[in-house]
Amino acid sequence: MKTASIAALLAATTLAIPALAQSRTVTLSTTLQNYGGDGAYLAVYLTDAQGAYAGTLWVAGGKAKYYKHLPDWQRLSAGDAARLDGVTGASVGEGRTLTVTAELADALFDAGYEVRVDAAVEDMRDSPSEIRVPLTTAGAGQKTAGRQFIQSFSYEIR
Amino acid sequence: MQWRQIHRWLGLWAGALAVAVGVSGLVLAFFPVRDAWQARPVPAGLTVAELAGRVADHVPGLEEIRRTPAGDVIAYSFDGNQARASRVDPADGRVLGDYQASGVERWVRNLHRSFFLDDPGRLGVAGLALAMLLLSVSGTLMLARRLGGWRRLAGRIRGTAAQRVHGVAGRVLVLVLALSSLTALYMSATTFGLVPADSDIDPDVVSAPGEQPDLAVEDLPLLRALSADGLRKLNFPAASDPEDTWAVAMDEAEGWIDRRSGHVLAWEPAPAARRIHDWIHALHTGQGLWAWALVLGLMGLSIPVFWISGFLVWRQGRGRIPRLADDSPARRAEVLIFVASEGGTTWGFAKALHDAFVRGGHAVHTAALEQFQVPGSARQVFVLAATYGDGQAPAHAARALERIASLPPGAVPVTVLGFGDRQFPAFCGYAEALEHTLRERGWPRTLPLECIHQQSAQQFDRWGAALSQALGETLALDYVPRIPATVALELAGREDYAGGASGPTAVLRFRWSDPGPLGRLLGRGMPRFEAGDLVGIVPPDSPVPRYYSLASGRRDGFLEICVRRMPGGACSGFLHGLKPGDRIQAFIKPNPGFTLDGARRPVALIGAGTGVAPLAGFIRDNARKIPMFLYFGARNPAEDFYFGEAIRGWLADGRLSGLKTAFSRVPGGGGYVQDALRRDAERLRALVSGGAALRVCGSRPMAAGVAEALDEILRPIGLDVHRLRAGGRYAEDVF
Repeated sequence: MKTASIAALLAATTLAIPALAQSRTVTLSTTLQNYGGDGAYLAVYLTDAQGAYAGTLWVAGGKAKYYKHLPDWQRLSAGDAARLDGVTGASVGEGRTLTVTAELADALFDAGYEVRVDAAVEDMRDSPSEIRVPLTTAGAGQKTAGRQFIQSFSYEIR
Repeated sequence: MQWRQIHRWLGLWAGALAVAVGVSGLVLAFFPVRDAWQARPVPAGLTVAELAGRVADHVPGLEEIRRTPAGDVIAYSFDGNQARASRVDPADGRVLGDYQASGVERWVRNLHRSFFLDDPGRLGVAGLALAMLLLSVSGTLMLARRLGGWRRLAGRIRGTAAQRVHGVAGRVLVLVLALSSLTALYMSATTFGLVPADSDIDPDVVSAPGEQPDLAVEDLPLLRALSADGLRKLNFPAASDPEDTWAVAMDEAEGWIDRRSGHVLAWEPAPAARRIHDWIHALHTGQGLWAWALVLGLMGLSIPVFWISGFLVWRQGRGRIPRLADDSPARRAEVLIFVASEGGTTWGFAKALHDAFVRGGHAVHTAALEQFQVPGSARQVFVLAATYGDGQAPAHAARALERIASLPPGAVPVTVLGFGDRQFPAFCGYAEALEHTLRERGWPRTLPLECIHQQSAQQFDRWGAALSQALGETLALDYVPRIPATVALELAGREDYAGGASGPTAVLRFRWSDPGPLGRLLGRGMPRFEAGDLVGIVPPDSPVPRYYSLASGRRDGFLEICVRRMPGGACSGFLHGLKPGDRIQAFIKPNPGFTLDGARRPVALIGAGTGVAPLAGFIRDNARKIPMFLYFGARNPAEDFYFGEAIRGWLADGRLSGLKTAFSRVPGGGGYVQDALRRDAERLRALVSGGAALRVCGSRPMAAGVAEALDEILRPIGLDVHRLRAGGRYAEDVF
């Protein structure tokens, strides 16, 4: 399997923490299946315990006209004008792995927050919230399989 | 504006890359046709609710139904752990098989739109689309100019095969090409977000919470009202999300439905941006429009045709037209020289005049006659015009005379210098027509019309001296006859005829040596030629080439001419003195108006004396056995029935359908070839009515007699030689 590594240090407002507060470095890996299509658009984002949008960690794929095909993220993040600031990159080819690194406040862990991944590929079916896993310290290192484009998703906490 | 330059360089460079785009476009056009062929369209009157119900009965875990542009119904489901896409039969909902988008199509599409280079590639392809648009515009302008105006754009295109192919293909496909370029540019603009392709966001709707169960798809009022043949996509609400809704996308609108109540939560007509996008997308891809896809595929194929024919036109032109040093742009030139030349020899004289003025410190612009213009900077204008055939304009300047006649006259002197051959009654006929038109319109001149016979360098020098005197400045015309690159020919055999009173005649057959694959690639071998083209032969003691009509094509593997020994003729004497194995230097001069164009129409061939040579070549190469009829006039069958034995053989094997002869010096021989025509008038009328082409080759008086006889013969069917000639069906090769 080929691996493309994209590292991003998240500095977005909603998730950023005052310099004093505690934070942890989280590395999220999303490995794609060989689904037989062009590069995938992926949105990696967080929702809170009520299912409300909490912030965007990464968007793979740079053309805004395709963001409609990441419908859950598009709908939930609509109010966040800064949702793309510093967190976009190229689309991810089949079989490759997207690795995102984020600094997340301690308060986000074990508090009902979820990591979600929306995926879309040209001419294929949109796959909103293909990944939906709770952000917990215990969940680190556990692999979750997606249903359409994502072979596996996991995150590591440092 | 130098459209010509833009067209040439853009065509050569951008065109080479566009070939890949065109060929991939041709491949991509195949898919909409295939999809239409395979599609199982939804039955008329079926509602979306009925369709979804049927599919749901057969596909467990159904989540989404899509209709492809071709009309196929695809069901997306999640069954257990397996995401599936299945083609279903809308008639009963049965699964026809797995649906998998073609990997080949995806690969070719990525080549087509980005050369696999992602955004830089997409920008490059957008640049190519812009180039194709410019090429379409410049090409149309050039064609209109060449044909003599917009109203004549549908007229006959004369010229070499490459020029005809390029022009005809352009005329047929330029609109499709321009449209494809425009739609490609629009699609690039949407990809890069310069133009919106859709609304950005769907309405924020949720199903109202409640205890009641979901409605079945058959019970949703909106879906029961929508016709399935307008469906694009239907999304089922996700089982895991109680707030999720039904989402239905139709061609003209999108709707969202509450999963429990069935209420329509939102109904949004397609925004204008999406409608435009869908329409342009369909125009560019042919998806859902299979007949249009065929047109697009043809256009894709045309790009390599354009490129190759354009490349050949450029190379032929480059070989013919000398390089002009210090050519100023027309708008700044003091001296303008316009050239009308069929074979290109007149360009050599133009270059000498051009160089003389440049040496004299003038800004000079030299161009082909169809670009005739007199800018404000001009002080002197010269027109160097060769006459083609029977007083006709060279093909490239076919409509230049009318163009000049339509221009308002200016105060700048326009001087005409004609080129021709005195053996034609219409010697310099075209130059005379130009001179006449210019004077009639009121243009002044520096020198009266002078006609140069057989490219005489001495005569050109004398004209230069007169010009120097008239202008009051010294012009040194340094003319070197331009002989095209020659190839060596070796005499392989000869057949001698007594020829009677007119002198002995020989049919000479030459062969050439193969320069090897590398030499062929570098263009060092024998160029292509057809029967009816000319071979130029430079005799040892004269710089002026003599031309002979070819009685064979390159495919025959030999080059054959029929040469009558002229009293005191330098070249014919030289040729008659050749023995097998002797070598000569020769070059090919295309004779595009005269060679047969490969159409499957019957042909009447009329020749006398050695004039039978190219006609014999036509028959020899008539492998397809198109009906060909030969009318051959000679003096005495024993003396000058050239190719006689071969002709009888062709008659036997069907390459020749009919032969009528006339022998003028034999009692009861039938007189002249005109008499043979008159005796066969009935068949000639039938042939001409049936669309036959006519080719006449022989002496000038013979051709005049033939034209007169044909006018008589064709009068009852309302046709004459003049009209046949204008329609491209009648051509002469006279000497």
